[in-house]
Amino acid sequence: MVLTGWQTSPAIPGREAGLPVWLSALRFGESKTRGAFVALVSLQGVGKTFSGRTGAWEAVRDFSLDLAEGEFFCLLGTSGCGKTTVLNMVAGFEAPTAGRILLGGAPVEGPGADRGVVFQGHDSLYDWLTALDNIGFGLRLRGMGKAERRAKAEHFLRMVGLTGQGAKHPSELSGGMKQRIQIARALANDPRMLLMDEPFGALDAMTRAVLQGELSRIWAETKKTVLFITHDIEEACALATRIGVMRRGPGGTLKAIVPVDLPFPRERTSDAFMRVFRDVHGLIHDEIHGAH
Amino acid sequence: MALFMMRSTVRIERLTTIGGYIAGFALLFLIWHLAASFLVRSTLFPPPMPVLERGWMLIEDGILQEQIIASLKRIAQGFLLGSAIGIPVGLAIGSFKLVRWLLEPWTEFFRFIPAVAMITVSVIWFGIGEESKVFLIAYTTVFVVIISTAAGVGAVGRDKIRAAQCLGANRWQVFGLVALPATVPYILTGMRLAMSNAFVTIVAAELIASNDGLGKMLWDARLFMQIEDIFVALVALGLLGFATDRSFRFLIRAFAGRFNATV
Repeated sequence: MVLTGWQTSPAIPGREAGLPVWLSALRFGESKTRGAFVALVSLQGVGKTFSGRTGAWEAVRDFSLDLAEGEFFCLLGTSGCGKTTVLNMVAGFEAPTAGRILLGGAPVEGPGADRGVVFQGHDSLYDWLTALDNIGFGLRLRGMGKAERRAKAEHFLRMVGLTGQGAKHPSELSGGMKQRIQIARALANDPRMLLMDEPFGALDAMTRAVLQGELSRIWAETKKTVLFITHDIEEACALATRIGVMRRGPGGTLKAIVPVDLPFPRERTSDAFMRVFRDVHGLIHDEIHGAH
Repeated sequence: MALFMMRSTVRIERLTTIGGYIAGFALLFLIWHLAASFLVRSTLFPPPMPVLERGWMLIEDGILQEQIIASLKRIAQGFLLGSAIGIPVGLAIGSFKLVRWLLEPWTEFFRFIPAVAMITVSVIWFGIGEESKVFLIAYTTVFVVIISTAAGVGAVGRDKIRAAQCLGANRWQVFGLVALPATVPYILTGMRLAMSNAFVTIVAAELIASNDGLGKMLWDARLFMQIEDIFVALVALGLLGFATDRSFRFLIRAFAGRFNATV
């Protein structure tokens, strides 16, 4: 157990108030043992078994991971390794069948506005709303006034590089633009962290590279904690501060964690980048060739 | 400039569509004329000109409008009543499993009993006044709208709902701001189908039990062998149905076409 102090911690006060006192105390305590590491999210021995008509399917087994505030964590794995299930459990869409997930010390119970999710497909956008209204959707739920909402949505539209496209409907936007809108929509709600489920998986290689660069820049600007799911080694190496490589399913679990200490923006043809790529590739090689 | 050009192409497209319709109807009347004048040559199948003349006469006397308005009024009342019941029930069936279990047998049972078969019951219950016709139209409308609405609720993408939840939406917000607008195209499509059913039903109902309306006009014309009157009623029904259906399609496009490529 890494963060033993958390079980006895009191309920979390509203996060708008900034870091609670006990949390900063914990940071101090932790720094003695593990350096300045504060877990925003803590998955402790998490498992997920689906029961269906064809029997039980163990998607995730004994998965433990601590995510630090502000880090960009890429969860890398082959298809069917359970990485999306991990994200769905952190998001609160699915409940773990074993272990537990803590967010800021409190157990995750269902989805909430503190975790913004960017989905793989663009079916999550609201076709009947303009791009701008999609971005402002979360603010509307909170009852924010129209003018303020609009100004805020415009700000995030600009951040994702779609200035002037706000009046268009999703059906009038390209796949890459739709993913930008999704990112802006999640950010406009000012969540505590971003959960991204292979957000660029359906895009062509060049659009994907452009969006990866933009996401890196946005992450540096907003300092959000990101949990990013991907099966693309290069994508993980380009974005992450840490890469978690998953063992192949069923019963997927973490195989290794690779820290990536390269500066941003990352030069993909540099020797240092290649070295990280080779390391990660070596780790996932067995999983790829066992998966088919 | 580009926007202006786009607008003008849309306008040209619209004009060609309307032009196509006019040409299509002209062709229909031409073939009718040829068939009646040269092929059939029977007093039982009049060519279009005498029919149109008779129609014009009936309009001048104010009789045709009277029948049309009588039929349309019943359709409108029954259709609105049926939709007003069908939409909420469909939404409830699509949203709650318990309601689905309870009400699905009803819809599955009644949708196989055609409104035409209910005419006798309806006349016994409500007499030959307005109520029986309104009931029949509502009956024929309600199940189509229920089924289509419920299907629409079921078809709302899972990620749309999840996205709203992780933006902080509660149950009611998910329903009102996501599920409901996503279902609108399905509701309108169900209403459009129900409207064509309503035209079938109203004629059958008026044929059997009514004092006025296009169905009654058909019945009387048959009794007195006024062949032209029969054809006037038929042409009126076709044109009315066509106009109503186009208006519905226009409405669906205006409300939903932007986000539903299948309409």
